[in-house]
Amino acid sequence: MTFELELRGITKRYPGVLANDAVDLAVRPAEIHAIVGENGAGKTTLMSLLYGLFPPDEGDIFIRGERVEFSSALDAIAAGLGMVHQSFKLFPTLSVAENVVFRQEPRRRGLIDRVAAVARVRDLADRYGLAVDPEAAVEDLPVGVLQRVEILKALYRDAQVLILDEPTAVLTPQERDQLFEVIRRLRDAGRTVIFITHKLGEVMAISDRVTVLRNGRAVADLVTAETDPAEITLHMTGRAVDLDRRAPEHQPDQAVLEVENLTVLGGHGRAVVKDAGFQVRSGEIVGIAGVAGNGQSELIEALCGLTEADTGAVMLSGRDITTADVAGRRAAGLAYIPEDRYGVGTIRRASVSENLLIGHHREETVQRRGWFDRGAVARLTRRLVEVFDIKTGSVSGPVSTLSGGNLQKVVVAREMEHRTPLLIAEQPTRGLDIGAIEFVHSQLIRYRDQGGAVLMVSAELSEILALSTRILVMFEGSIVATLDPRTVDEPEVGLYMTGAHLEAAVA
Amino acid sequence: MLERVLNGVGDMSRRAVRSPVTFSLLFAFALAAAIVAVTGGDPLAAGGEMFTGAVTGSGLRNTLGRSVPIIGMALAVSIAFRSGIINLGGEGQMVIGGLAGTIVAIYVPGPGYVIVPLAMLAGAVVGAVWGLLPAYGQTWLRLPILITSLLLNYVARAITGYLVRFQLLDDAVTLTSTRQVPETARMPKMPIFGGVSLSLILVIVLVALLWMVYTRSVAGYESQMTGFNMRSARYGGIDVEQRTVQVMVVAGAIGGLIGTHLIIGEALRFIDGELVLAGFAWTGLLVSLLAVNRPIPIFITGMFFSALQIGGLAMQRNAGVSWRLSQVLQAVVIVAVACRLAIRRGERPSTEVSDAESAAVGEV
Repeated sequence: MTFELELRGITKRYPGVLANDAVDLAVRPAEIHAIVGENGAGKTTLMSLLYGLFPPDEGDIFIRGERVEFSSALDAIAAGLGMVHQSFKLFPTLSVAENVVFRQEPRRRGLIDRVAAVARVRDLADRYGLAVDPEAAVEDLPVGVLQRVEILKALYRDAQVLILDEPTAVLTPQERDQLFEVIRRLRDAGRTVIFITHKLGEVMAISDRVTVLRNGRAVADLVTAETDPAEITLHMTGRAVDLDRRAPEHQPDQAVLEVENLTVLGGHGRAVVKDAGFQVRSGEIVGIAGVAGNGQSELIEALCGLTEADTGAVMLSGRDITTADVAGRRAAGLAYIPEDRYGVGTIRRASVSENLLIGHHREETVQRRGWFDRGAVARLTRRLVEVFDIKTGSVSGPVSTLSGGNLQKVVVAREMEHRTPLLIAEQPTRGLDIGAIEFVHSQLIRYRDQGGAVLMVSAELSEILALSTRILVMFEGSIVATLDPRTVDEPEVGLYMTGAHLEAAVA
Repeated sequence: MLERVLNGVGDMSRRAVRSPVTFSLLFAFALAAAIVAVTGGDPLAAGGEMFTGAVTGSGLRNTLGRSVPIIGMALAVSIAFRSGIINLGGEGQMVIGGLAGTIVAIYVPGPGYVIVPLAMLAGAVVGAVWGLLPAYGQTWLRLPILITSLLLNYVARAITGYLVRFQLLDDAVTLTSTRQVPETARMPKMPIFGGVSLSLILVIVLVALLWMVYTRSVAGYESQMTGFNMRSARYGGIDVEQRTVQVMVVAGAIGGLIGTHLIIGEALRFIDGELVLAGFAWTGLLVSLLAVNRPIPIFITGMFFSALQIGGLAMQRNAGVSWRLSQVLQAVVIVAVACRLAIRRGERPSTEVSDAESAAVGEV
């Protein structure tokens, strides 16, 4: 048979890294083909090579049996490929239709025919069940809809093969289900979809076949119906992992963090955190669920002293830290794993050991009268590297050579080493592979079991449900619900996350 | 062991060959030679005069002498740059500190071993205050240091100009100048290479001290981390505002020291406008950029730029090629380094392995 798309022996080398190692990939017409692998397994590199962003060092690409060579993404588009990137590439001030037809506008007497553009986009959207208003301005649309616009862009260019790179990372559970519906319709209409992910649940739910990448190699090509998550995991990690571990029962103790009536004003005096009040007790993990952008980041920044709260009070271990600065709050007993591990949690241009030292650098154990005890610094960093199994060539090498998982280990190791009563963990496993996720989870549980209080923000509902003692849901800056993970399920939390419970109450 | 040493040397020489600095130097000299040839000169003769003029006889003394303000001002600016502060006020800090030191040297009576350190101290303190102004401007009023420090250069020139013209004027000469610094209050010269200012030792001590600070002190670490990534620094509990103030104080103090040295060790009179003519603060800035703000490379690069300038003067005297050619050389080196860096940055593909790749390329 002729494959819709075939890669043979694709190899791509970077200095010191073999990103793709003789990868074979065969995608049949009208199938949904998942590509899974841990971060750094080479998924993104492979797709970038396929999409003509840069050439492979070795190997060939065939489309419908014909060998092709792309020198740019335009060649790939012309050959019928369409890619939806993780970060959307849209003009915010233009309408949906204008974005979709960009550079291939229908024309009438040399001018852009807007009426035809809107009509064509509407027609295309209806055909594949993509609920989008072609005349809406892109900047007003939620993330889930933006993704549909990106898909429309590819369909408008008549893409036979649609590549979706981690498409569900930004979606709510409802939006994700809608996306899956669209993907199935596309397949039924004869189009081929390549679905890149590291979430096994999605692989099982949507794909027909799955190719597993590990360390730059394609290690398995499986029919989804004939496999199960355990087998895929085994191929991804080379070992079996236990993901579905519920937190063991544990009796929370006295309050460590007390937040009262906290309000943070953003731009234009709009409240981005509204009147938030809650407690975190020692020996518990409180999970904050919410769709990204509903005030979680601002809440955490205000708690850590990175932004000022406008009203309200914050108490840490009985001390009022409402007006303390970052150093003051850290000294009062707070450690913080930030959401942005590249821009905040680590310093790219600094070494591994310098990164492990942030926040510890004034402690009596590593310095005396402003001069480092270099032996003590080396011992501290060596111990952290060993205990947390950080894979690095040299602690004096730049931190930017570490993989995402190891980078997060640097952050987690450093913050846990503070042994503070409160640990704030913001999106602690985002973008990590299964092995690293499992590691971070076990560390958070260990922290809790040693009597620590953990406040965790996560966009991963499964993570919130698996780890939390209590769940707070944030929607448009307010804490709209406090839930018990033992009595709720994903869809129910999702309702609160999208504010649907409010509509239900009105109706 | 021997093998490791050899490998090390090989590695270093390979890095040196591939370094953008090496490339830029070769490019700059080639271009300068071409200019000389096109304008009818003899590039080899000009180059020879430049070299011998910079390192032989009194040339060596002059090169060492001129390196003091170049390296000093480069150190001052590097401290700020390293912590991410764009301090363009080195000139003002140097000028106003220099006048303060001069006033002490001229008007305070006493033996040299008291007056010289006192004058240097006065220069440092006033330079530090001049650095403090833009620092507080930024931390209190959110005025960018980049702008205020630059504009304060003109204020410093105006203030010193007024003081020299109307308060400190020496009527005995036709210059707009202070009196001469009395012999006892001058910076002593060391009996080497025909008399090099003692300030060279000061500069060497500063280089060593800063190297120590950056490799093993908390202050140096905090400052460097702030320069790398201010958000991470803040997140780690570093008081970025307080560090900004400290850095500007130290930078200003070094500027004031150098300004004072230039009067009590070199010019001996504070002539209005004279201190800014040589553009030491700006040459220092270029040196610091080229040396990526690291103390020891600054010392080497500063020495080199000093030799270029002194050699350029010799070239004009003996080969008839304008000394401005050495300024062209300096400028081309900087532009070439900047281009190489920009090209490298552009080459990096935006993929998940780009981090590994850029690390392999390494910092300059």
